[in-house]
Amino acid sequence: MKTLLSAITQGNRARFAIAGLFAAALVLSAASARAEDASGSSAGSPTSPVEEFSQQLEAFQRSVPDLNQSIQDSASTIDSVTDAEKARAEIDKLRATVSGLLGAVSDNGPVSQLGVKALDHVRTKLKALAAETRYKPEERLFLIDQWRKLEAETQSANKELDDARVQFAGLLQTLQQNEDFISELLEIRQAEKALEVIRHLTRDIRDASTQLNKLIGGIKPPGA
Amino acid sequence: MAGAVILGAAVVLFRPTSDVGYVEIKTVPVAPVTQTALYIDSAKLAPIKQGSAILQERVGTLRLQADGLAGALAPLCDIVVKRNRITTVTISVLERPPRCQCRFSGADAAHACVS
Repeated sequence: MKTLLSAITQGNRARFAIAGLFAAALVLSAASARAEDASGSSAGSPTSPVEEFSQQLEAFQRSVPDLNQSIQDSASTIDSVTDAEKARAEIDKLRATVSGLLGAVSDNGPVSQLGVKALDHVRTKLKALAAETRYKPEERLFLIDQWRKLEAETQSANKELDDARVQFAGLLQTLQQNEDFISELLEIRQAEKALEVIRHLTRDIRDASTQLNKLIGGIKPPGA
Repeated sequence: MAGAVILGAAVVLFRPTSDVGYVEIKTVPVAPVTQTALYIDSAKLAPIKQGSAILQERVGTLRLQADGLAGALAPLCDIVVKRNRITTVTISVLERPPRCQCRFSGADAAHACVS
């Protein structure tokens, strides 16, 4: 029994000794780790403050040229040709066509001037016939009747020119107004694009700001 | 039909080759023939019939004038003519001197009519 008790006591001592050695090893290991952290000399650690700072700095520096490029790209986007420009070019073409027509029938245009001259000629002839004595009365009446018919037809033709003038002028004004409307649409489109650009820039600036915050957060004064 | 043919031929023959625009002059009150003599720059206009005339003019700023006192021309307003566009101006001929009313006024000029 004494032998048995002695054996148990010796076994317990051995276990205590092993446990004590293990605990001492843990304490020493922790102390060694603290010492390494404090000196910052651990070469293999990927998240050391110096490296982290360096990474954040590089990320921030990379984001600045991107921001500049983004601003330049945005400006060129605003200046780019849109569909509204094409519509305006079409209206320009139509306007040139209507303008040509209006030019012919305008009050100082060639066709109108011809109409005025023709009517003047008919009226001059009628005046002359009224005072004419070379013809028999029935002959004179016949000639006057013929010239009066011609006068009526010339007046009718001039009236058609008047109508055409009003019509073409109205058409030109309509095209002008549509062009103005298209210009307004273009401005709205540009304003929308500008808004998109502002949103995009805001996002980029926010990202850059986050990078900067990380950079500042990575700066740890000695002893902190 | 014949009128359309003549008009078509005239359009081809007299197609404007340089930069031109149009001035629409309306007179109020409407009369068969306006008695007031009007000028664009120094060129006298034909009497305006039925209160309306549409004139083809060179592109640029023109001065609409009327007969003033002592034979001098009285400026009424400036008219900005743009290529293939029509600028409308209404003239109140009852007033002395006649007064211009622009359909659209320019933003930068005090008294210029624009298209």
